[in-house]
Amino acid sequence: MRNSTPAPGPSRRDALRLFGITGLGLAAAAACAPSTSGKAGGDRNANGFTFTAWSLNEAAQKDAVQGIVDKYAAATKVKIRTGSYPYNDFLNQLVLKLRGGDITGAVQLDHSWLGSIASMGKLVDLSPQAAKGGYTDAALSGGTYQGKQYALPWTTGSIGLVANMDLLAKAGVEKAPETVEEFEAALRAVAKLGGGVVPYAASTKVAQLKDMIPWIQTFGGKLVDNGAPVLDEDPAVEALAWYKRLYDAKLIAPDVDRFDARALFAQGKAAFYDDAPIAKGIIAKSAQDPKLVDHMQPVTRPVLKAGDRPHSLLWGHLMVVVDGEGANKAVEFASHTTSDTATAVDFFGRVALPPSTTAALADPKVKGDAFNAAWAEKITKTAGPNPFWQFTGAAQIDSAMAQQVQAALVGQAKPKDALRKANETVKPLIK
Amino acid sequence: MSTVDTPGPRPRGVTAAGRLSDRTFAWLLVLPGLAMFAVIIVYPLVASLATGFFEQSLVKPGRRFTGLSNFADALKGDFWPVLWRTVEFTVGATALPFVLGLALALALNSGIKGGGLLRGLFLFPWVIPGVVVSFLWLWIFNANYGVLNGVLMRSGLMDTGISWLGRTDTAMLAVIVTKSWASFPWMMVMLLAGLQTVPKELHEAAAVDGAGAIRRFRNVTWPQIRGIAGIVVLLEFIWNFQHFDTIYVLTGGGPAGATRTFAVAVYDTAFKGFDLGHATALGALWMVLLLGAVAVYLRAEGKGAR
Repeated sequence: MRNSTPAPGPSRRDALRLFGITGLGLAAAAACAPSTSGKAGGDRNANGFTFTAWSLNEAAQKDAVQGIVDKYAAATKVKIRTGSYPYNDFLNQLVLKLRGGDITGAVQLDHSWLGSIASMGKLVDLSPQAAKGGYTDAALSGGTYQGKQYALPWTTGSIGLVANMDLLAKAGVEKAPETVEEFEAALRAVAKLGGGVVPYAASTKVAQLKDMIPWIQTFGGKLVDNGAPVLDEDPAVEALAWYKRLYDAKLIAPDVDRFDARALFAQGKAAFYDDAPIAKGIIAKSAQDPKLVDHMQPVTRPVLKAGDRPHSLLWGHLMVVVDGEGANKAVEFASHTTSDTATAVDFFGRVALPPSTTAALADPKVKGDAFNAAWAEKITKTAGPNPFWQFTGAAQIDSAMAQQVQAALVGQAKPKDALRKANETVKPLIK
Repeated sequence: MSTVDTPGPRPRGVTAAGRLSDRTFAWLLVLPGLAMFAVIIVYPLVASLATGFFEQSLVKPGRRFTGLSNFADALKGDFWPVLWRTVEFTVGATALPFVLGLALALALNSGIKGGGLLRGLFLFPWVIPGVVVSFLWLWIFNANYGVLNGVLMRSGLMDTGISWLGRTDTAMLAVIVTKSWASFPWMMVMLLAGLQTVPKELHEAAAVDGAGAIRRFRNVTWPQIRGIAGIVVLLEFIWNFQHFDTIYVLTGGGPAGATRTFAVAVYDTAFKGFDLGHATALGALWMVLLLGAVAVYLRAEGKGAR
């Protein structure tokens, strides 16, 4: 008969329990230790660096940007590795890579992301390069964060309305609308054309609903007043109610972001949409009708009443350098790419994005481009910065506002309630 | 006089023959696995749970202990709507492919002509990566140039297109359909395997007794495949409860949060809102709910094993 008396000393189960508790304790202790984000090491003087850009992911710009990289690498004998993520995912990916210390070198940036990225404390101060680059003051101002020049302006421009004048003429609209009332009348006229035409392919997906900002400003909304968000003031509510009216009347379409809008416009199925000056290059490449690009015109955003100042958002590409391996060469590359006149003018010729230096802007190839000149006169001239860019949480603020605008559009909330909720969400992000 | 050396006390875990005892040997075998488990599972889990007790940003250095406030905020915030949407998606995306998979498995098991070829074709959606499936359906459901609207309008069933992914009343349905399309083949294969274990004699005897097809299914087939069907449904339920890619690609949780499940909410909070503390608290609550489903699965599997 076997002895069933337990063996003296700790049992296997006790040992396992002890092991588990010890492991959990150690893990908890480690987990509660002060967090440290990954720091990219490496030789700052290395003869190679990484260049990460969303433009390398977009058909319209990919070849032009790769051309700049290849030409620079061949001329300087510097090894440049490239990386890319789609525009709509770029900020998330960049933040994760920066936090993990997995990215160094030159990085393309949208104006609205600079606050978030600079606050991570890994960018190189580019003030010396900014001082000698010959950039315009307006362009340089978009690359500063808390008084430091963390970014060099690569392209300058604005987000504005683009119109298909041929489609408007077919609808009986002979000139671009100047007031909101005329604009709405033009949309109603285009809607009557039928055939699946979207009068205004405005952004209705969260990713680009920040396009709502200039419309709020058009209605007199301030968005930020004395450092506090005022998204729920009457003019903003009025603007959103108007936008929803367009949505309900099918004058703007659901489920549209910038890429959908470009696709619709290129098919001749949209009379208006919002884009940057790059629109011309993109539509020229993708339009079914090669003559469509001739009918494209930048249009001054309509105002509430004649004589008001039109509103649009300044926008452009920036170039930053993340400290770490090859940072010094990356700084030289960023400086060259953004300020070398020949490079900037050639880039403009290929993608129609206006350069950021006085010399490049004065170049006959840039100055003489009719579309660009019209864009500068009709849109950029009165464009202003996104009022949220000054805050670290600019991207989160844009997103919070966009979600509530979408809630109002799809009828989940009244415009007033949606904007009140957006305002509450934005308050703690404004620091 | 000769002396005999008496051996000293043996070290623990060593047998008289100087070999490792079974227990020690077993521990040595298990140790690498336990170490991996601790590094890959336990540490990240505990670390992320701990983050829930801090105010911590993804883009700013440092963090501040805030106790249970992140958990309280999560429960006060959109926890309940998110829970409801998660359940809605999970139930829909489990039930629909199950019904479809079972129907096809029954059809294939009936010995129809070309069954082998059909089985191969039906497996096709399952081998396509989830993100690709999502993009495919994104184009199908597109409001302005989608295939579905095109077909419905050309066939005269609709005058104007529907924004399937842009309307709060259709977005979840669209997401469920997409996920079901991707997962019904797996359910079909599992259920078919179960059906093939049902003895033909039982069906023949039931048929001789005058049982029709429905009665034979209810009284002969179903009792035989109930076990595997239960496991398949439970596993699919657990997977769907934590599913992310289809929803994120199709709607990103929108419109207006209509498809915002836990997976999307945690992702948005962490990687769009950069708020790691709140994201972790929400994730921990989500994990507790998921543990309930896992416990049911383990219990069911245990019963099956017995």
